[in-house]
Amino acid sequence: MGGFGIGSRNSAVVPAANVPIAAPPEALKLPPREWVKANLFSSPFNSVLTVLTTVVLLAIFRGFLAFVFDPVRQWDSTATNLQLFMTRAYPDEQYIRIWFCVAVILILTGVSMAVWRAGSAMPTAAVGHKLLGTGALLALLALLAPFSASATIQWLVAGLAVAATGEVLRRSPGKGEDERTVSTLTVLVIALAGLVASLWVVPYGHHTYIANRVPRVLAEPGTVALTTKLPWTVMLLIVVAAYFAGRLMRDRLPANPIRATLMVLWLLAPPVLVYLVLRDPDFDIGHVVGTDLPIFLAYAAGGAALLSWLTRPLTGEAGRIIAVLILLVGFCTFLTPMRMVVRIDMLMLAVFALAAPTFAGGPQARKRYAVGWLGVLGVASWLITSINTPSTVEVPGGFFIGGLSITLMVAVFTIVFSFPLGIGLALARTSSMPIFRHLSTGFIEIVRGVPLITILIFFSIMVPLFLPAGMHLDEVTAVIIGYVLFSSAYLAENVRGGLQSVTRGQHEAADAVGMTTAQKTVFIVLPQALRVSIPPLVGHCIGVFKETSLLAIIGVFDLLYIARIVIPGQTEFMGSARENLLFVSVIYWIFAYQLSKASQRLERRTGLGER
Amino acid sequence: MTDATPAEPTAGQIRDLSKGRDMIVCEDVSKWYGDFQALDKVSATIKEQEVVVVLGPSGSGKSTWIRCINRLEIHQEGRIVVDDVELTNDLRNIEKVRSEVGMVFQQFNLFPHLNILDNVSLAPIWVRKKPRAEAESQAMALLERVGIPEQAQKYPGQLSGGQQQRVAIARALAMEPRIMLFDEPTSALDPEMIKEVLDVIKTLALSGMTMMVVTHEMGFAKEVADRLIFMEGGQIVEENTTELFFSNPTEDRTKLFLSQIL
Repeated sequence: MGGFGIGSRNSAVVPAANVPIAAPPEALKLPPREWVKANLFSSPFNSVLTVLTTVVLLAIFRGFLAFVFDPVRQWDSTATNLQLFMTRAYPDEQYIRIWFCVAVILILTGVSMAVWRAGSAMPTAAVGHKLLGTGALLALLALLAPFSASATIQWLVAGLAVAATGEVLRRSPGKGEDERTVSTLTVLVIALAGLVASLWVVPYGHHTYIANRVPRVLAEPGTVALTTKLPWTVMLLIVVAAYFAGRLMRDRLPANPIRATLMVLWLLAPPVLVYLVLRDPDFDIGHVVGTDLPIFLAYAAGGAALLSWLTRPLTGEAGRIIAVLILLVGFCTFLTPMRMVVRIDMLMLAVFALAAPTFAGGPQARKRYAVGWLGVLGVASWLITSINTPSTVEVPGGFFIGGLSITLMVAVFTIVFSFPLGIGLALARTSSMPIFRHLSTGFIEIVRGVPLITILIFFSIMVPLFLPAGMHLDEVTAVIIGYVLFSSAYLAENVRGGLQSVTRGQHEAADAVGMTTAQKTVFIVLPQALRVSIPPLVGHCIGVFKETSLLAIIGVFDLLYIARIVIPGQTEFMGSARENLLFVSVIYWIFAYQLSKASQRLERRTGLGER
Repeated sequence: MTDATPAEPTAGQIRDLSKGRDMIVCEDVSKWYGDFQALDKVSATIKEQEVVVVLGPSGSGKSTWIRCINRLEIHQEGRIVVDDVELTNDLRNIEKVRSEVGMVFQQFNLFPHLNILDNVSLAPIWVRKKPRAEAESQAMALLERVGIPEQAQKYPGQLSGGQQQRVAIARALAMEPRIMLFDEPTSALDPEMIKEVLDVIKTLALSGMTMMVVTHEMGFAKEVADRLIFMEGGQIVEENTTELFFSNPTEDRTKLFLSQIL
């Protein structure tokens, strides 16, 4: 293959750069009256339909408002129990831990938004449009709701003011080139700042439920408690500061290492925050130094040496045999009494050893792989140790946290863990190796044939009975394991759909350049399969999030359980279930809707190369 | 070889390859799809630096044969030896052969989720274990050779068919193969893009690469091939040097084929 250069660039179909391209004609924009005529009243039938639908919608809206603003509604049951909704009975004196966790999540969010360039330019006209719509809705609300005359006027004025602001914004900006735009992030921050500022100004009232006092309900006029408004103000400042710090990092540092670090931090955040920060384990230093540390060091040194040998390109496939041997030894350890951590570490090492030939390479690649092992082992050991240590946070009845916190916690853990498991099951089910295929198919079919509640009850009641003596698994952890297994079976079927959409040509192209099956799967098949599966996968995540409410059946105090049972059971708020159910459904909706929007963004983003 | 030198000597006519090493040896290769016999005792030897064009009507088994050579299809009888490695079920042999044999497909089969540069450099990095920087500069050099360095950061979907096929050729060359297989490389292209791809293949042939090309482009075959193989019904009907194949075909079936196509 000597010097072969080629002059066919001229024949390529690259369009000439300086050909003037005619601008597409501006979309025909009808004035409002014409638009209404063309779209809503174009025919007699259409007109009837429009009038009828409007009447029905107004009636529904009015009924809804009548429910919300009915004087018999006990909305103070919601306001008083907000803390219960968020964290249940997490002790007040340790509440700083909760705020620390929120702050960590917000810092990660802010930095990530900057690094991944979240947000886009939005024409101020569009902002005005939205404000106009909101104002109109407020005005409509004022007219329809069963308010007193003065309240109606107040709401009407507020609505008209918002609408007027929107109209001004809508009309002011220039057209075409000098169209004024504003970042969606700015809009978001202004809205949030408005909300936080209102905590300091608007007399929402100071409501608290204090269990060990009579009367237990505290309701004072004025703004909300300092312990509410101060932390939220700080949180807003933190997220804004994190965003600007992230922008600095984005501009000063290379992109890929930052993104990789952030991804790792996002994955580490949930277990570390829940088990180390919120749970506050009471470490026994003697045990840690005497038992846990030596086990960690042995695996760290031995594992790193083994893996750096396995990742030599020369070792080749012999490495897989050794990996399988480790796996077998790992399974055999379950036959003899032994510390759980020894077994778990052994299985992790086997997984790393199995993957080693795929990541074989030069000294740099080998070092990276060994460091990866040390990192994973370190985090896992730390977590196992802290989970096995009793917590200092003592809360009567079950898990130390509840409400929205446990709903989010169970959802996040389930989603995070069922992804790798589900993908593995899908790959096994489509594998050419019959053992994997049959095991995976059997698992999926069995789990999918059993109701979720059965699995949750099984894991909360039965599994602790089967555990060897001396081993404890708290109920919530056991239930999360069951939920992960359930969710991964469904997820596997979604991923399998994606795997089948990868064409045979893609497999052949990867084979033809000599990739191993593992390389082909990781670099070619999975990325394409997962992109196709985004919509069903996000649908699945939303389902997992909402179905955490089934945890209530096994006595976990989740968001729905608190709204449905706990608050209506308080003597002060007897029978206030409907208000609180409406409140929690709004919370569920907010999260589910954000997930859905995130999925749309993700689809747009990953559709980049598709055209 | 022949002395009947036309005005422009072509690659095949000025080279004597008879002393070269055997790169691909097929002995009585047979393959069935269910009851249908796709290949029937195909035997041929391809020497180092030789360019062989395989012709034949649709369904004659030419694609099946060329795909057997890097084991995208599995032959059921006979032997295939590529660069002294026999293709058996042994995975190591298959991976070794595949990394020595580059393949270009009719449908390009670029990886749609990777940009052009990654398409070309992925296999050298992970299969050849090259450092990323080296693999990327090599990929850029190859894109330069096939004439589209400016597209390196685009995605396959943003390129024309001809450009995609040239990227596919660069991707195969990035593995520094000793043999290149082309499976109807221009059949899915618009007429005006065929030339740009054929030009690349021609320069590659002139550079001394061992090549096997399945194509319907007669002009290209005449110009580039050292030898032509005509197949029908899973069998090799005729095998001859380019000159003799076109000027003096021996088999009736070949004559019929040529009369229909030329």
